[in-house]
Amino acid sequence: MRLFLYVLTQVCITLVSVCGIYILTGLTGMFSLGSAAFMAIGAYVSGLLVLKLGMNMYLAFLLAIIAAVAVGYVIGFPVVRLRRDYISLVTLGFGESIAQLILLLSQYTGGAFGLIGVPRKVNVGFTVIAAALAIALTALFKTSKYGRQCIAIKSDELAAKAMGINTSKVKMIAFLLSCGLTAFAGCMYAFYVGYVGPTDFGWKKSADWVIMVFFGGVNSLTGSIFGGAFLTFLPQYMQSLNKYRYIVYAVLVLFILNFKPNGIFGEWELTPRNMKKALKKFDRKMRKEGGK
Amino acid sequence: MSFQTLINGISTGTVYALIAIGFALVFNILKFSNFSYGATMTASAFIAYFLVASKGWGLFPTLVCSATAGALISIIGEYVGFRRILKNHSPSTYFFVSSITLGTLYEGIVTLKAGTNFYVYPNFFKESSVDILGAVVSKENIIMLVISVAALVVLALIIQKTSIGRAIRAVSFDRDTAQLMGINATLIIQVVFVISGIFGGLAGCFLGIKYTLTSTLGSLVVKGFIASVIGGLGSLTGAVIGAMLLGILEAFFLSTIGSGWATIASFAVMLVFLLVRPQGIAGSNVQEKA
Amino acid sequence: MALLEINHIKKNFGGIKAIADFSLKAEKGEIHGIIGPNGAGKTTIFNTISGVYQADSGTVILDGEDITRLPQYKITRKGIGRTFQNIRIFKGLTIEENVLCAFDPKSNYSVLGGLFPTPNRMKEEKRGRRLAEEYLDVVGMADKKDERPENLSYGNQRKIEIARALMCQPKVLLLDEPAAGLTPTEVGELTELIRRISKEFGFAILLIEHRLDLVMSISDLIHVQNFGETIAVGSADEVQHDKAVIEAYLGAEK
Repeated sequence: MRLFLYVLTQVCITLVSVCGIYILTGLTGMFSLGSAAFMAIGAYVSGLLVLKLGMNMYLAFLLAIIAAVAVGYVIGFPVVRLRRDYISLVTLGFGESIAQLILLLSQYTGGAFGLIGVPRKVNVGFTVIAAALAIALTALFKTSKYGRQCIAIKSDELAAKAMGINTSKVKMIAFLLSCGLTAFAGCMYAFYVGYVGPTDFGWKKSADWVIMVFFGGVNSLTGSIFGGAFLTFLPQYMQSLNKYRYIVYAVLVLFILNFKPNGIFGEWELTPRNMKKALKKFDRKMRKEGGK
Repeated sequence: MSFQTLINGISTGTVYALIAIGFALVFNILKFSNFSYGATMTASAFIAYFLVASKGWGLFPTLVCSATAGALISIIGEYVGFRRILKNHSPSTYFFVSSITLGTLYEGIVTLKAGTNFYVYPNFFKESSVDILGAVVSKENIIMLVISVAALVVLALIIQKTSIGRAIRAVSFDRDTAQLMGINATLIIQVVFVISGIFGGLAGCFLGIKYTLTSTLGSLVVKGFIASVIGGLGSLTGAVIGAMLLGILEAFFLSTIGSGWATIASFAVMLVFLLVRPQGIAGSNVQEKA
Repeated sequence: MALLEINHIKKNFGGIKAIADFSLKAEKGEIHGIIGPNGAGKTTIFNTISGVYQADSGTVILDGEDITRLPQYKITRKGIGRTFQNIRIFKGLTIEENVLCAFDPKSNYSVLGGLFPTPNRMKEEKRGRRLAEEYLDVVGMADKKDERPENLSYGNQRKIEIARALMCQPKVLLLDEPAAGLTPTEVGELTELIRRISKEFGFAILLIEHRLDLVMSISDLIHVQNFGETIAVGSADEVQHDKAVIEAYLGAEK
């Protein structure tokens, strides 16, 4: 049971950042290899505010998220008007820089030893609620005008501009939302584990999230959530697998990309309407079988 | 800036140029950023270490082995990761995911074998440094410089003077039309991946010699990316110019503010560049068609 | 002052004159055909008007306002709607959502409404859907609004693009080879549709087309382009009897 609760918390924290990646990658078609750096910003800023200034945890979370969004704006500003390749290149460079910065500012961040003694005030319940909230917000965003414009940009940026869509602005909004969500995940991570290490936020982590989103289906939030949950659960329960984790993931995703490019869920979403449809289909099938 | 710093910068810059060129070649022909490139460098440097260098063979066999390994990994990657996606006319995002997945795969395999340990290439030369106009330059650096420049010159000749080079330029410019003209695009793409792999292998080996060999060596590919952006994404000349500039800039930062801040400073330089001159020094040749 | 005034725009691509010198004046309700052989720079004219490319020189004046150097999305908002030669429908969106995308930039709710179902968002979404239905009805596709455009025929995809361009509520509509790839029946329907929307909405239409029967039958004025140059301007009748045109273009058809 304790293991289950631990894993569940891990899953919920991951899902919050997966929501961010879904908005960025799934909806808008931009890739960030520095998302984990925003998680680091969330974790370090909130941790430091509470440890050094004795600030209220919730206020610290809020400030950490604001900080991440502000940094995101500076990073995003030059690149949102350019081809989408640039955002991947820039975020990758940004991730490396943040890693360096954490080491350089060791008198605050604890350098290579990490930030020790963060109060463990986040519990399972908190993360479950946070994940549910993040998923709900993402779903609402997807069906809003912003979500539609994001999908239009992903599909054809030039045509999107020709429809009057301010692509730079919409891309920036998606990027900042994603920064905020990953920073929030970072805050929860710090206050659940009680420790923040400088090596937890490399490009591999960002790549991991992208892989989760693609595993379930890049066009479907349901699929991304499933991918995030499944690929976090699996290795926790199969410790022997952990060593081969990245290799197994990579092979799985390569298979999906080559043979089922829309991921497991395709574009299907778990909405009441689609559920009814699926149930009806199932019902019809059962009756048919019964009729035989 | 002292003469010494300049020399150091140029020698680093040439290695960055190898990375940037290998990256730009693939970018040019398939119009996506190949993020498996870093891990390709790491993997080939490790293969060369275990197969050749650790057995006490010299620098040149190690380099040949690393370059060959890079070419092999690169072409396998093309086959497993990109061939089918290209055939399906999938959106460019799939190339991207495929490339980072391949990167994770290579790095995973390297980690499996090498763990998180550090490895050091043996010293290839007894007398390690020479004096040039008062600047102390290590022999290894000179050799790296010479080999890198040679590789770049050979590549330039291939691209400018040979029929394969013409075909590469044609396919990069417009794949469909090139195919209609009877060019076997699949073959040309393979050739490009092989060349890119060779450059990656050389760069990986050099980086291993310059620094130490770890499973995360590939993250230095960022330097190649930054160089590409400064020079102009997709332009080969730009990649070399950007790389030299970045190398010299870093050497300057290194001598003034230290290595940690140098990384951050060069990233900041890239951001400023994107803000002021997004098409890079040589001008990016990527334009969308309506 | 005319609704749309294009004054001597020029565009070079690496020494190739895609547009040597192009001028045009269009009034409300007029249909202008632009014809010419492949590579005559017709689509480049559209791309320059709509802001995909920047003109090297010359001006585009819409309703008395210089829009030449505005970014692409602003030009659209000022009132230039367009379709594309090779259909560019948004994948991953339904037909209705495709059309809504052209409304969304004008939809009046903030990021807050993007994350929460505020009353304002509900109201604006409703308004958008009503308009989308209206424009889909104009092209006769309202009953298919929840389907995926990828599964439609070429002709129907073109109609979605036109509905999407109408949603931009343009003052000038640019149609880039709308009849390409259509069956003869569909071409007939399309001709009818263009005539109808031209009357109903009263905007100016610029039309690039290879099907001369279509262009000749509905255009008020025809501009003939060849190698970036305008070689003739006139009514269908005048153009058909123009010597330069016959040589450059129609002559090949004999």
